[in-house]
Amino acid sequence: MTMKSPVMEGSKLREEAHQIFDWVKSFAKGAEIEIGLGTNINEGLRFGNNELSQSQYSRRRALSVRVVTNKRQARATTGLLAKNEVEKTVQKALSQARAGPEDPDLLPMLGPQKYQTVERYYSRTAEAPAEQKAGWIGHAIDMAKKNGLLASGILETNVDHYWMLNSAGLETSYKGTQGYYSLTMDADNGNQTGYALSTFVDLRELDANEVADTALERAKLNKNQGDIKPGKYDVVIDPQAWSEMLFFLIVSAAAGYTPDFGTRQYKEGRSYLSGRLGEKIMGDNISIDDDAYHPLQTGAAFDGEGYPKSKLPLIENGVLKSLASSRISAHRYPDAKPTGHELPLPNPLGEIPNNLVIRAKGSVKKSAEELVKELDRGLLITRLWYIREVEPRTKTVTGMTRDGTFLVEKGEIVKPVKNVRYNQSLLDLFSKVEATSEPVRNLGRFGETTMVQPGVLARDFNFTSVSPF
Amino acid sequence: MSSVKGMGEELSRIALETASKENATYTDFRLVNSRNEATQVVNDNPSSEELTSLGVGVRVLYGGLGWGFADTDEMNRDGIREATLKALALAKGAAKVGIKIQFAKEPSYVDTWMSPVVKDPFNVPMEKKYELLNDCCERMKAEGVVLRRGGFVFTSIEKYFASSEGSKIFQRMIYSGGGLVVAAKGPTGMQRRSDQQWMLKGYELIDELEFPEKAEELKKDVIALNGAVKCPEGKKDIILSADQVGLQVHESCGHPIELDRALGYEANFAGRSFLTPDKLGKLQYGSEHVNMVMDATINHGPGLGTFAYDDEGVKAQRKYAVKNGKFVGFLMSRQTAAMVGEARSNGCMRAEGYRLPIIRMTNVSLEAGDWDYDEMIEDTKDGILMVTNYGWSIDQKRYNFQFNTEKGYIIRNGSVEEMVRSPAYSGITPEFWGSCDAVGNKKSWVLWGTPNCGKGQPQQVMITGHGAAPTRFRNVTVFGAQ
Repeated sequence: MTMKSPVMEGSKLREEAHQIFDWVKSFAKGAEIEIGLGTNINEGLRFGNNELSQSQYSRRRALSVRVVTNKRQARATTGLLAKNEVEKTVQKALSQARAGPEDPDLLPMLGPQKYQTVERYYSRTAEAPAEQKAGWIGHAIDMAKKNGLLASGILETNVDHYWMLNSAGLETSYKGTQGYYSLTMDADNGNQTGYALSTFVDLRELDANEVADTALERAKLNKNQGDIKPGKYDVVIDPQAWSEMLFFLIVSAAAGYTPDFGTRQYKEGRSYLSGRLGEKIMGDNISIDDDAYHPLQTGAAFDGEGYPKSKLPLIENGVLKSLASSRISAHRYPDAKPTGHELPLPNPLGEIPNNLVIRAKGSVKKSAEELVKELDRGLLITRLWYIREVEPRTKTVTGMTRDGTFLVEKGEIVKPVKNVRYNQSLLDLFSKVEATSEPVRNLGRFGETTMVQPGVLARDFNFTSVSPF
Repeated sequence: MSSVKGMGEELSRIALETASKENATYTDFRLVNSRNEATQVVNDNPSSEELTSLGVGVRVLYGGLGWGFADTDEMNRDGIREATLKALALAKGAAKVGIKIQFAKEPSYVDTWMSPVVKDPFNVPMEKKYELLNDCCERMKAEGVVLRRGGFVFTSIEKYFASSEGSKIFQRMIYSGGGLVVAAKGPTGMQRRSDQQWMLKGYELIDELEFPEKAEELKKDVIALNGAVKCPEGKKDIILSADQVGLQVHESCGHPIELDRALGYEANFAGRSFLTPDKLGKLQYGSEHVNMVMDATINHGPGLGTFAYDDEGVKAQRKYAVKNGKFVGFLMSRQTAAMVGEARSNGCMRAEGYRLPIIRMTNVSLEAGDWDYDEMIEDTKDGILMVTNYGWSIDQKRYNFQFNTEKGYIIRNGSVEEMVRSPAYSGITPEFWGSCDAVGNKKSWVLWGTPNCGKGQPQQVMITGHGAAPTRFRNVTVFGAQ
């Protein structure tokens, strides 16, 4: 059978966006308008218990309309793109805007901008046949069966295309592909388990056999786990293991799950970073950028109102150097300049950096295995799980290890141990990093923030209790 | 109503006929029309957004061996035919490597069900909603307060389900919810207080919640917390507020009784479960005071897990998960019910919008006990009262957990005394529920809503309900998180 090619749909998107923009303009009758038209094609082959359990295909479109009228604004979003439905959507946005209070931060729509190009669309990914992906999964299942294990996981691809226009003449677009292969091999109700993950933008980046080899190797090692006492241990954290942990560095539960690294949050005092610009908050071997142009990054080169993203040194040699900013912040605060980190407007939460890149001294070309060789005594962690904020000032988080925690002595894995809970300050962790491995791309929590991060060797990780398995 | 139902009737025929011509073993079709209005104020900044979506998900079993699923927002005959053929192609591919799939039997139904609504939230003027939110945010202003956040979300969902077994079911649900958050900085760092509730109700829920009064209480609390002492460490008796018990039930009972994860199908992401099928009817999960039900019927209350039929056409039911402390039931689908020899699914397949249905919690609730709240306090000599969740974490088999709460009080000789900040507790699930010796009575029992439960790959967000009352646990590890 044939399906509409996502590439064909992409080439039509500009035309559709302009047609809809003209409709919206006529329905909005003089109000300022911004539209974003997006399509997503998601394909996922999901498997469990050595069976292909869920084969999914999803095709979605969304039109989002922002209207500004009489110092008020609102947004309405719909998946229905017929002219009469677009009119309804515009009327909803207009009626909400008219009923709302004046927005104290409202600015005129952003005019035309110049953008740096990012190439993140690969037809190899968009058009990969299900049979090819099923073949890779079949290989993993065969390996699991041969070793008395059960394979489970997903191989997922996404094709996104987005077009943005506004009444001040701004026009920009993004087209990209991305995906990931996540694999667990386990037995004995997960008492023996190994895990591997690989992300890709170009399907050619994926070495499916290596993913299977890694999961199998770890599952073979992670059997008959020994006891371990809670306490402080030096650790090697695998680069794929800890993207969710980093998410809690930039978002505060204390402030109702609002982002931390934005100028508005900083100035309003609701960020844990407030008042700390210029302060050393991490070790001097740690630098963290927000860099949408990094070769391992994903997503568009513009923010929620179409402003071009800047590369931003958030942490430089451990010092809080700069904040994510926006036109609103620049309007509110004389010392702020827009950096392209606004969320789609109206946005009362503040700015967020969502292209994080950890740059650590000495990380070039070193593998995670080489970090283990540098560990005198401690734990190798291959996956962290269910992380939540415990204390906002020090960014202490709790969570569990899963799918492989190993005792290391004199650079060698000695034995697997039971899963452990930790209560660990992230600022303390980033102050005690002794060595790092080559960074990898992790698609972040809920797919919203992509993190480029190395594996780390860090001192004194604080484990507080042990699971029965 | 009729337009969505009519569209469902017409388009489902295309999907069912297309799949039938290709000899599908089984097909189901769901058309979902949703409308969601979110309004919030953060400090003095307003924001409102309305989202509408309309789409169809088609699930096909081919050769009795392989599943395929496709969804689409192309709402015409060609679009539905194309999605059905895509689901079929995936099902045929899966069938090549599949094993025989059995289904627990379920009657077919032709029915319409609408959730009870007193006040349609979409007919309440936006001005009134903003007026209430601005009033609450104004009331939360005080020295040291850095965040004042209030928001409402209203959702209408119409869904039409049809299957190759003959079911034709139309349901309409209206959900309402809202919450307040206030955060203040002081000598002890940043403290937070919040309050939220979500139900299968109309705007009458917002009227019932009396948010302006709550805004004043939360402000007083958050200021007091900045001067409160740290929670003591050690083994203590604890009494949890009803909302915290609701989340404890969700994490430590609701998730481990999902039969797909207990069978290993979620091992890669959500995880496995310590409650495996061989433990059914045998394992003592908690003390004899612990009774937990899985109840999607409207008789249980208008919860986020209340409906008439699940997303594979199984009628809503009430079953015990834990009876007098013993583990006795799973949340099931028709396929997984058959896998463990159950005659019938208890109707727990749910999907976010028109995506692929997976096993989710309905209303998983702790039944009320017989303790009056004041008597429970008076009966506690040395304990901590813990109120409203701040953070939650639990291992992938749902054994080892740690929860921290927003505020607490020391209970001394039957009396609630000084406030403590950031009280936290941790434990191992069966030991923890085994230490439960008092559950609040019906006067203090509330059906809470959880609007943000994540599961599945790609991840789906689901809404679930949890009835709970203040509950006491003996000799629990406690500490101060801040």
